[in-house]
Amino acid sequence: MKERINEVLRYLGAGKAAGTSAESSDAQAAVSALRQSAQQTLSQLETQIIPKQLYRIFPLQHEADGTIVLLDAAHQPVFTLTGQLAASLLRDCHQAVLLLATLGAPFDALLRTQQARDMAQAAILDACGNVLVEEACDRIEQDIRKQLPGLYLTDRFSPGYGDLPLSLQPAILQALDATRQAGVHLSASLLMNPSKTVTAIVGLSHLPQGAKIRGCAYCNLRNTCTIRKDGKRCDSL
Amino acid sequence: MGTLLQQNGLKPGMQPEEMNLTAGEAVTAIHRTYVEAGSRIIYTNTFGANAHKLAPTGLSPEDVIPAAVKLAKAATQGTDALVALDIGPLGELLEPMGTLTFEEAYALFAQMAKAGAAAGADLAVIETMTDLYEAKAALLAVKENTNLPVLVTMSFEATGRTFTGCTLAAMAHTLEGLGADAIGINCSLGPVQAAPFIRELAKHTTLPIIAKPNAGLPNPVDGSYDLTPAQYAQAMLDCVEAGATLLGGCCGTSPDYLRALRDALASRQPAARAAEKNSFVCSPTRTVIVDGVRVIGERINPTGKKRLKQALLEEDLDYVASLAVEQMDAGADILDVNVGMPGVDEVTLLPKVVKKLQSVVPLPLQLDTTNPAALEAALRVYNGKAAVNSVNGSEESLQTVLPIVKKYGASVVGLCMDEKGLPATAEERIAIARRIQASANAIGIPDEDLWIDCLALTVSAQQEQAAETLKALRTIRYDMGLNTVLGVSNISFGLPNRPLITQTFMVQALHCGLTLPIINPNQKELMDAIAAHRVLCCEDKQCAAYVARFAQEMPATAQNAGTSLSLEESIYRGLKKEASEAANKLLAEGAETGMSLVESRLIPSLDKVGTDYESGRLFLPQLLGAAQAAQAVFEVIRAAMSEGGETPVEKGKLVIATVKGDIHDIGKNIVKTVLENYGYKVIDLGRDVPPEVIVEAVTREGIRLVGLSALMTTTLPAMEETIHQLNALDNPPAIMVGGAVVTPDYAEKLGVRYAADARQAAEVTKAILG
Repeated sequence: MKERINEVLRYLGAGKAAGTSAESSDAQAAVSALRQSAQQTLSQLETQIIPKQLYRIFPLQHEADGTIVLLDAAHQPVFTLTGQLAASLLRDCHQAVLLLATLGAPFDALLRTQQARDMAQAAILDACGNVLVEEACDRIEQDIRKQLPGLYLTDRFSPGYGDLPLSLQPAILQALDATRQAGVHLSASLLMNPSKTVTAIVGLSHLPQGAKIRGCAYCNLRNTCTIRKDGKRCDSL
Repeated sequence: MGTLLQQNGLKPGMQPEEMNLTAGEAVTAIHRTYVEAGSRIIYTNTFGANAHKLAPTGLSPEDVIPAAVKLAKAATQGTDALVALDIGPLGELLEPMGTLTFEEAYALFAQMAKAGAAAGADLAVIETMTDLYEAKAALLAVKENTNLPVLVTMSFEATGRTFTGCTLAAMAHTLEGLGADAIGINCSLGPVQAAPFIRELAKHTTLPIIAKPNAGLPNPVDGSYDLTPAQYAQAMLDCVEAGATLLGGCCGTSPDYLRALRDALASRQPAARAAEKNSFVCSPTRTVIVDGVRVIGERINPTGKKRLKQALLEEDLDYVASLAVEQMDAGADILDVNVGMPGVDEVTLLPKVVKKLQSVVPLPLQLDTTNPAALEAALRVYNGKAAVNSVNGSEESLQTVLPIVKKYGASVVGLCMDEKGLPATAEERIAIARRIQASANAIGIPDEDLWIDCLALTVSAQQEQAAETLKALRTIRYDMGLNTVLGVSNISFGLPNRPLITQTFMVQALHCGLTLPIINPNQKELMDAIAAHRVLCCEDKQCAAYVARFAQEMPATAQNAGTSLSLEESIYRGLKKEASEAANKLLAEGAETGMSLVESRLIPSLDKVGTDYESGRLFLPQLLGAAQAAQAVFEVIRAAMSEGGETPVEKGKLVIATVKGDIHDIGKNIVKTVLENYGYKVIDLGRDVPPEVIVEAVTREGIRLVGLSALMTTTLPAMEETIHQLNALDNPPAIMVGGAVVTPDYAEKLGVRYAADARQAAEVTKAILG
């Protein structure tokens, strides 16, 4: 519980203050008030929202030029992954999981209501939503680990991360039949709707996979990231 | 159909509807296999044949649909099978989730409906809908543009709701009210899971029910379905038992499934059906059944409310939305919505307010207007089953209002008055109620959908009238069996201690059969009295709600007692109520004028919050909390200043917007909250705003500062285009930008100001507007 509340605080820009004890008493009071709100919001949210989770496993074909092709059950190409990130992460993998988690339209409705009621609480709700949808992705990974005990999973990575292009989003959503199965739509500007939706790729390998990403060099937000500005990294908070 | 099309040459990336033009024979052959398997209705290959989805193919509905109908007709030749024009979702989310408007959706569906009817389809089916609003747009489009019978099915999750949260009950009442000929479910899991859904629908509709589920549940690994044709047909018998009479299959089924189903159904009779008769109103996600006292919130009505009048004139719909949330939190079940006042065009404003309110609160609405055109415009865009306030006993009113109520399937309040005015005796009011009832029934509005208002008059002016109202109430509720509405607040006008008279009269009225009091739910005494009434008439079983209500309340009272915080402390801690109380006290004591309070206390408090935020002693929610407390103080000061003749605080105005293509706008809303509380007037153009709209607002309002936000790398070009167009103006405004992907370097490159967060946006605004 503490871990996820720290995550919420991190999204609210209070991750640093939450992690240190030597801060001013003002800051500690502010942090503990946030903790309490976050806890309440998360508990309430979990009674109102059931995250929707989808995944499919695809065989991979490694091409001579380094690109990686996802195949369907009939070994027909579904789509191609380009770029360094995919190549390095999936090097040892014979399969990849496409996964999607979404809090759905009902979360966005709650967020609209909360914005009309109280913007401060809305900011907290928004942050809690981020945490819940990431946790839903974690659960999919756990599920896969349970179902395929002999295999190792790579880090999870998403379009827009590193050099994995956002333009893969339509193919991923189509491969998961995401509109019909989860009510997820994609705008012309490749924005997913509902807002708290994550798509990701996880490689499956017979060999142990070390953590490779979650490094700032790969991240699109590296120039504006508030965590990085504080001299920290999001994977080590 | 999809699977069979793939086997017949449909390539990935190609739209199934193209096959109507490129592989007509194959399409007819597929249709024929279903007719031969025993299907009595076959769906044309037009699920996605709307102009929006067809756009990438360069084809139009007029190209695809006539061909599709012809191919289906060819397959039914010589049989009695019917051809249904198939209409699926548009593939884009409607407002408020997405940006497609209800009117645009209607136009897309109307185009399909006309093409299908002209080509000779026997009926239309609207299917796989997950948004009730989209289903409504499609249903209206078919009904208003064709004479075809129309079936509607939606797709539900295991929770009994669609992806967008729509319930089976809301679907049933809304679509039956709008005149669908049959309703039901398709897709939505397998037949085993669908049977309880059918049972729930049967409780809420008198229409024939359709069950068209998938071939069981899909395997997450390969997407295959788990039932064989025989298992499927067997399981479908549960749906028949539950009340379905139109049966078929969706994903994973094939002609073999239909054949097995037909054989299984051969000796079956339809199940007996009995829908519950209830007074029922709803939004897609919230249903209100009037089987006890239900509170209608009266606050959204400009009569006698200065602040709301100003908000309506300025179309400040956020303020109207805040009134809605406040009433919901206070326990209202339904919200009355009235925007009628001089200077306002109700025909355009009422639908706008309805859309805004429905985007923010799930409560059903009661549309309150005397303008029939405004009523129709608002009912049209209402999502769910609304109530209408009101029709009266005059011929003119009955003839204009009731047909509109019937067309949109609403409930309606009948006022016990007519062209001669409000009768003095209970007997005359009851006679009018009977007349309204007869007219409503004659046009097809059942008793459940008619609520009667016997009207309460001011007791200080016409004292003997209170008893007449109660007498009429008793007959209408207990003899005629109708639900009753009453605006009770009027009763106490002009008397001291108004709440006491209002509360006492309301309790008397509840006892005489009032079921739908129209009140201000923020008046605690009234809500407390209703809680007590629910206990005494056995509506609140085991007093559970009553106990919960007052158990919760006690510690809160203890906490508030004796604490009195300073204005500065209240703002710092984000306490709205305490802050406005402190401000009121300072003004009342004459310690401060409105202006001096702003200068010497409010702005310094906000500055301290800002500094502490920057140095990491406070965080975003606290910054916003303080901003909201400051807003409450501003409201107090504004009211005091307009009374005292001081000029209101106005520090300059700016336009903010999320650029075209971006639909997530919480960041922009956060900036708005903070800037408003520094005293700036923020003209919020919303999300997904085209450059032209921003330029137009800037020119019209003489704006000197524009704030733009963009969230995605894919929408940065839209931000650049907006900046470009603004810079091309004769007297270009200053521009500040922000959002997840915007960097200081990027802003500098474009020659605009950068704001990392709401606090910096306030700094930039101060630098530019002063």
